[in-house]
Parts: sequence; structure tokens; C-alpha cells
Amino acid sequence: MNASPPAETSTAEAHHHGGFQYQPGLPIPRGKVCLWLFLSTEIMFFAALIGSYIVLRFGAPVWPRQHDVHLSEPLGALNTFVLICSSVTIVFALESIRGSYPRRAKAWLLATLLLGTVFLGVKGYEYKEKFAHHLYPSQPRSLIYERPDVYYRTAVKQRLLEIDQELSSEESELLREKKELAEEDSPQALDRLGTIELALDRNAHRQQVLKDFHFKTKLIEERDGEVVERWVWADLPVSQMPAFAYNVMPPAPVHHGSDDHEEEHFAGWNVLEPWLELPMVIPGGNMWVSTYFLLTGFHAIHVLVGLIAFALVLPLRLTVARAGLVENLGLYWHFVDLVWIFLFPLLYLF
Amino acid sequence: MESSSDQTVEKGHDHSNLFFVVFLALCLLTLGSFLTYFEFWNTRVPTASSRLFMMAIAVVKASLVILFFMHLHWEVAWKYVLTIPSLLMATILLLGLVPDIGYRMLDYSTERERFAAHPQEAEEIREAAPEAALMREGKLNIEENSDS
Repeated sequence: MNASPPAETSTAEAHHHGGFQYQPGLPIPRGKVCLWLFLSTEIMFFAALIGSYIVLRFGAPVWPRQHDVHLSEPLGALNTFVLICSSVTIVFALESIRGSYPRRAKAWLLATLLLGTVFLGVKGYEYKEKFAHHLYPSQPRSLIYERPDVYYRTAVKQRLLEIDQELSSEESELLREKKELAEEDSPQALDRLGTIELALDRNAHRQQVLKDFHFKTKLIEERDGEVVERWVWADLPVSQMPAFAYNVMPPAPVHHGSDDHEEEHFAGWNVLEPWLELPMVIPGGNMWVSTYFLLTGFHAIHVLVGLIAFALVLPLRLTVARAGLVENLGLYWHFVDLVWIFLFPLLYLF
Repeated sequence: MESSSDQTVEKGHDHSNLFFVVFLALCLLTLGSFLTYFEFWNTRVPTASSRLFMMAIAVVKASLVILFFMHLHWEVAWKYVLTIPSLLMATILLLGLVPDIGYRMLDYSTERERFAAHPQEAEEIREAAPEAALMREGKLNIEENSDS
């Protein structure tokens, strides 16, 4: 293709040489060739990503169910619908340009931009939901453990001791400050005292939660003839870790809408008291978050690039001369839609 | 220079109706794959058939987008020059991944054996619901932790 002369010169040279006519490599504009070449590389890029996901997914001994990882199928379907709508609006934008309706074309392009933004907004909400449940692709934010084993038990104990330490040091710090401020009578000091009281209440509530959730058990002893009560950390035998993991984050029912989940009402300790941030067990969960965020993340980047391109083209006057530009933009956008067509069933419905 | 698509699309052919039909078809197909989400489908259709159905729908949807929205239906033979090599390369890439990733489970390393999830453990947690309820009520016989 490189050997072919430019199309404009080929016609002139054809006249000059009397009858010879050069043809470019492909009978389409160079911009479109470049875009298709780019899309070819993108096909391979996403084929590698989706292929790796499929191989990992079906090669894994265990894979979390959609609701175990807080995936919402209706939201995925909604996003699919939004992208399909955006695909048709960009097609109509191109049709309008070709029919010499620049204002109509601009309206369709704006609609595409808005629909793409809606897609990213929904995706952002979905990410927020994952992060709220501490579903991160890596440590230290991720709280996912693969098995309810001795390593999980150690992590739980570490976290509980960490909480205890945090609460104790916070309490002593607040009490010290309260004592200091008690001698002042300035309005600022009174305000601060109010804040301290609230913080102390919260601290007391959290200390009580540790007891209510039976992380701490009451021990009654006799010392020098006196009965003494003391709270000690409950032991967590490894054999009870599956039950503990269940309480931190109960697994989703096998079939949603069925009656086989008597514990449906129990949300889990991490949801009831989010500050606990207890390690949780999701078998196969680490691989799931890695693949989910990688695939949807790369797709979202492509959507974002498309939106930036739309935003750059939107202020231009969309005359017939710009049909090629919008056609190329449309091709890119349809490719983004294509990728999502495969991601939706693979991630949300499989 | 006019592209082949320009030659066909710009000859006064208004494809708006066709695009609208394709859009409706895409919506219906999405709805079709979303049916697999519901309880009635899950209890009646085997998982393998369900997955096959979803992938078939995805392929049909992708074909509709490629053929009509990306105008390949109206393009001449050049489309094969760009699309077939990349599809071939993508297929080879996928086949290359199988031995590297797919068979990694056949030979567990000690490290992996120690940390990787085992299928029975997912069930173990699910079945621990009654024990978990007892634990929440403090009725589980938890021994005093000696190192507390």
C-alpha cells in the first residue's frame, strides 16, 4: 500500500502519461484505512483480554457467583441498552451529515455524547458499589481471602486487635482532650467539647459492637475472694472460620428469588458496621476482581477516549466535508459497542 | 476520492429505516440474553445451553453492528483484507493462551495449593449458615482465647 501514490496525484499523472491510472492500495480514504488498521490491533487487544478471561474463568476450580461480588445484571443490561442507543445515534449523525443536515447531525452527536456519559456514570456507580464492599483488585484495600483457613483466621485476629488498639487510643486521646478543655469556657472550646462527646459516643458504640457481635466474651473470675468481670477476645477455632466468613459477608443465594436462603435478611457484619472492615472469604474472588476491573477498566478507557473525540468534534460545523471524520468516529464507537456486546454476557450472565 | 461506502450510501439511499430495524433487533436480542437472568430460565435450561445461547446472541448482535452500523455490508472486497488477518491473529492468540493459562491448574505448586480456593470451600461457607446464626447469637461454644 505504501508503494501506491496519493490518489490526487494519480489522476494527474494518468493524464500526463496518457492512459496509465494508479490505484491506491485500498479503494477507501487514508483516514479510514488507518482507522481500520487501528481497529484490527484493537480486535487483537480485546481478543487477548477476553480470551484470557475465558481461559481463566473456565480453568478456575471455583468462581464466585455474580451476587457474591455484588454484580447487578439489570445495570449491565441497562448499560448495554445505552450503548446500543448511542450506536444508532452516531449512525444517524452520519446519515444527517451525508444528507446535508448539519444541525441535525450535531444533535445526534450530542445525544451520542450524552449516552456515552450515562454509560460511564452507570459504570462509575457499579465501581463505587464494589469499592464499598472492599472489592479491590489488590492489597491492602482488598479484604478478599480465598479460603476460610488458618491464614484467614490470623488476618481476622489481626484486624480485631487493630480495631481494639485504634478504639483504645482514640478513647484515651479524646478523654485527655476533654479534660484539658473542661477548664476553658470559650465558645470554641464548647464546640470542641460537643464534638468530643459525639466521638466518645461513637467510640463507646463501637466498643459495644465488639461485645454484641461476640468478638469479645465476658469472663467472670474470682480474685482474692472478689468476683471480677473481664472481657477477653473470643477464640476463633479454624473449624468455625466458615461460619465466621458467612457472618462477615453471607454468600448470595444459589437462585435469586427462590426460598432456599433462610438468611436472606442478614446483610453481614461488614455491611451492618462498615467500619469493621473485616477480612472476608470469596473463593475465586481475587481472580474475579482482577479480571472484572481489567476488562471493564480498559473498555471504560475506550469509552472515555470516544467521548473526548465527540466533544472535540461537536463545536465544528458538520458539513458534508466532515462526513469522513464522523464516519471514522462512528467506526471507533461501534467497536466500543462491539466489545461490550461480548463483555455483558461474559461478565454479568455467565 | 470516494469510498465504496460513500458510493453506495450517498447515492440517495436512505438507510434510516433499516438502521431503526437493526436497532430494534439489537434491543430484542439483548432482552433475549437477559432472559437467562430470571429464575424461570435458570430452573428450566441447563447452564451449558444457556451460555451457548448467550454467546450465539452476542455473535448475532456483533454481526448486525459490523454489517450495518459499520457499513461492511455495503463495502467491497477490501473489508476482507483488513478484517480476516486480524481475526486469524486473534484466534491464534486465543489458542496460544490455552496451554499457558488453561492447564495451569493441572499442576499445582505448593504455594498455590496453600492459598488457592477449593471448590468444596464455597459450599462449606454456604452450608455454615445455621452455625453462623448460632455464632451471631453467641450460642456457639467459643473457648476463651488464651493469648487475649
